[in-house]
Amino acid sequence: MEFSHDRSGDTLVVNASGRVDGSNASDFLESLQGMFEPGDQKIILDLGGLEYISSAGLRVLLMAAQNLDKQNKSFSICSLTEAVGDVFRISGFDQIINVFPSVEDAKQG
Amino acid sequence: MTQTNRILVVDDEPDLEPLILQRMRRQIRSNEYEFVFAQNGVEALEKLNADPTIEMVLSDINMPKMDGLTLLQQLPGVDPNLRAVIISAYGDMDNIRTAMNRGAFDFVTKPIDFDDLKITISRTLEHLAEWREALSSRDQLVALQNELSIASQLQQSILPKNPPVTETYEVSANMEPARNVGGDFYDFFKLDEQVGLVVADVSDKGIPASMFMMSSRTALKGAAIGVRDPQMVLEEVNNQLHQDNPTFMFVTLIYALFNPNTGTLTYSIAGHDPPMLVSADGTVTELPRTKGVALGIAPDIVYTQETVTLAPGDTVVMFTDGVTEAMNADNEQFGLTRLAEIFDGNPADSALAANEAVFEHVRKFAGDAPQSDDITCLTLRRP
Repeated sequence: MEFSHDRSGDTLVVNASGRVDGSNASDFLESLQGMFEPGDQKIILDLGGLEYISSAGLRVLLMAAQNLDKQNKSFSICSLTEAVGDVFRISGFDQIINVFPSVEDAKQG
Repeated sequence: MTQTNRILVVDDEPDLEPLILQRMRRQIRSNEYEFVFAQNGVEALEKLNADPTIEMVLSDINMPKMDGLTLLQQLPGVDPNLRAVIISAYGDMDNIRTAMNRGAFDFVTKPIDFDDLKITISRTLEHLAEWREALSSRDQLVALQNELSIASQLQQSILPKNPPVTETYEVSANMEPARNVGGDFYDFFKLDEQVGLVVADVSDKGIPASMFMMSSRTALKGAAIGVRDPQMVLEEVNNQLHQDNPTFMFVTLIYALFNPNTGTLTYSIAGHDPPMLVSADGTVTELPRTKGVALGIAPDIVYTQETVTLAPGDTVVMFTDGVTEAMNADNEQFGLTRLAEIFDGNPADSALAANEAVFEHVRKFAGDAPQSDDITCLTLRRP
């Protein structure tokens, strides 16, 4: 897993690439949440570089989403590759977590 | 310091005992250390055998009856966790080297520098504390591995054996567990004239997954007995699983109800790959998806269902992503296309043959690559 992030105003865009499965899912969550700052209101996770996500990975995304939701912060994901998009569609997670085609769409959404 | 460390001092010279008691009086008074004394190796072994709470031995080399180097060889037989520090003459490298080779942890030289001795003792005891912690982690790891293998056995044991093979329908099911206990399961049960079929995959692995698998399976079977429509069954199970789910576990599954008299199969899917239909003529199609989400993550989800009618010779293949995501040595996934190709123009002549063909092809594809996920497949065939 590799991360980079870009903050402008109260919007944080996190780019995650690589693979998320059972072996690194909790590290993934920790790294992700470690980037959040109290002032961030809108968090967008750009998964354009993500090759694979397992059910363990979906679970930690759900945890992050619910945590942010409790703090009344917005969380969305965007730029899914075809393979990762399939995982979200088949599992129905695209109905639980906001999914956008691009970072720009996510910023407006 | 929560506990007094007991140290055995072995020396035939009578003046060491009062010297240690005097120079270490602060540590003795504060119950940090307690010293026990012996005059030679034989007496030392007697004291060690009589008192298993002694953790450390501080021993001279030249002594009557049994010398320090011989004593060192005997220590592991008394307690492999004992640590010894040798007192040697200054510059006596031969004896020091022999002592270290025989397992001494450290040495101090005569005349004893008590500041150095204090540091050596505390370093030895620190090492012992770390050593014990490592031992206990190792024990915990062994215990955890035992628990995992129990969980794995439980997972296997709740899977029903002897799937029904009758004149009007045939079922075959198999789950090949990954090394880490996972959360796949299948189920089949009779509901009057009909038969309920389940293929499921719990998120993540390990003991929490296997516990969630148990409750999912029980909830589903319970709901299926009371409610007839698969979509209603999933709505009920979803709410049940969501109610008390602080760790955000979820399960994806297909629940299908087959009526052998009419050949109709009604199914509802919760976040799972749809079943594959292999027609009697060897045409392979994906059955329509239904609306729904993995079970347990959000309340009051609406599920839909589909009904298809199986013609004689049709086979339905339900599977978990352990099948499609099985990897070979080149990190390629088995995938839906390869799965479909097994049956393309080559319909199975029994549910068992279809099931075995899936596992055979996946195994052949994966070769020696390690299996990271449970592989589950259930086949239903109308003869």
